[in-house]
Amino acid sequence: MVSVATAVIGFYGLRISRTTGDFYVASRTVRPWWNASAIGGEYLSAASFLGVAGLILLSGTDALWFPVGYTAGYLMLLLFVAAPLRRSGAYTIPDFTEARLDSQVVRKVTSLVVVLVGWLYIVPQLHGAALTIRITTGLPSWVGSVAVVIVVCLTVVAGGMRSITFVQAFQYWLKLTALAVPILFIIFMLAGNGTPALSPPAVNPTSLAPAGAYQNVSLLVALLFGTLGLPHVLVRFYTNPDGQSARRTTLIVLGLLSVFYLFPTAYGLVARVFAPGLARANQADAMVLLLPGELVGGAAGDLLSALVVAGAFAAFLSTTSGLVVSLAGVISQDVLGGEVGGFRLAAVISAVVPLGFAFMTDSLALAGSVGLVFAFTASTVCPVLLLGIWWRGLTDAGAIAGMVTGGILCGGAMIAGALAGAANLAPWLAQPAAWTVPAAFAVMVIVSRATAHRLPKTMARVMTRLHTPERPLATER
Amino acid sequence: MSRVRVTAPRSAVLPARDSREAAQDSEVGQVFVRSLIRSQLRLALVVAGGFLLILGAFPLLLAVVPGLSETRIGGIPFDWLLLGVGIYPVIGLSAWLYVRTAARNEARYRDLAGDQ
Repeated sequence: MVSVATAVIGFYGLRISRTTGDFYVASRTVRPWWNASAIGGEYLSAASFLGVAGLILLSGTDALWFPVGYTAGYLMLLLFVAAPLRRSGAYTIPDFTEARLDSQVVRKVTSLVVVLVGWLYIVPQLHGAALTIRITTGLPSWVGSVAVVIVVCLTVVAGGMRSITFVQAFQYWLKLTALAVPILFIIFMLAGNGTPALSPPAVNPTSLAPAGAYQNVSLLVALLFGTLGLPHVLVRFYTNPDGQSARRTTLIVLGLLSVFYLFPTAYGLVARVFAPGLARANQADAMVLLLPGELVGGAAGDLLSALVVAGAFAAFLSTTSGLVVSLAGVISQDVLGGEVGGFRLAAVISAVVPLGFAFMTDSLALAGSVGLVFAFTASTVCPVLLLGIWWRGLTDAGAIAGMVTGGILCGGAMIAGALAGAANLAPWLAQPAAWTVPAAFAVMVIVSRATAHRLPKTMARVMTRLHTPERPLATER
Repeated sequence: MSRVRVTAPRSAVLPARDSREAAQDSEVGQVFVRSLIRSQLRLALVVAGGFLLILGAFPLLLAVVPGLSETRIGGIPFDWLLLGVGIYPVIGLSAWLYVRTAARNEARYRDLAGDQ
């Protein structure tokens, strides 16, 4: 049903979006509320819809840091990135770094990193789809992943960004409804049945040790600084007409995210108290899908479960298509030369490669594996954006050295973690952001200082453009 | 509408300098720009720092005051309310303050740059 609606909206969008400009940034004519809903719809992924609640079921209040970090990441994005990036006029992150540092090599390295981040982020979405299909229909896992990839390819190829904006805005409200209605129903039902007052939610349904302070702090670093480098999040800001409206849009997004995350938290708490049996190893992510059937049962339970499944697919589809659009933008401009046909080919490439990754890898806890992608982004894209926007001294050599350092350190930790297995992993490897992010910043600053003679000549002009309000001379004279 | 080919991304990002940038190229113009950037950065750092302090204070509060996490409001434990609900208004408030002040900084810059 969701797939049909998505395809219909995508097709409808096809008729209005016909030019390349539309494809890349929806002609910058999208209104703040639409845009904010679309950002919310795109950002709330499998990790938010299924993973957060599952993790809360497993680890209680420790896992509450995930939704807090996902939301606060947007605060950081608002504070440090939103308006300047919009004012840069760039379509993609590689466009931005190239313009800021006046270097083709930086552009290539950034493109590589962005494509890697996007692919890494699509994989957990496909794992989520596989899990959902397996749990709800009993079909083999691969059906879910393949279905998501096919629908996303069709939608993106048909409509580009303009129709994607409508699709994404619709998806936010769908996801919110799909989470809110069942849990509110469950809560009212429990209250109506006169169920005993909440038993201690501190029950630990698994034998997992609670995360230490280091892991919580490191996770927060990853989420706070990872958000502002996510490619599918950034591309949305170009659809605002100016810097100030980019800020207003972000403000609305923060409100939408805050409301949304109340519900996974409620699911986690309710499941911990009333259905701790759902905390089975490797299946906690499915808790949101199973809870209505477990606690309500009967026809009403089936109906509510169907609603949740629809919302879950909305989550996989919206995040994946957002990522595919932004990756396709990067790939088609940098590899294929920037034509509409190239964009379509690039969209298919961007969706199919992670499908291969998804088949080769095992599904970890969704919220955890998405957290690692945030750590990778925070160690690579985030430093180059923050320093590029706020520090005049950044050079191309510094940017490359920093991105490569952060990428190798964080990527290495991720690979080591995958090889060693999640169970017997040292905390500093399991949550690498707390040291890889400062390392990337430090290398970027030190190498930039050492190569100060390479400062781009266009720097003063670019900095002016990034930070001055649009049409500053329009009001006087 | 015909399809338009997007070429040379750099020129799309930085078109030939317009009048607005010409006016800012003067030495005085650059002084204004630098002071705008500084005040915006200071604002962002202050808001981020304040938010992180509050964020850090939450778990500290739970650790320092014993019995607090056992307290219940409407049947829901206090630590869940604090981390699961209470943080979001703080985020929203910080964001709102920032957007207002950032716009004010820009208005001041406009006045200054317009006076040249």
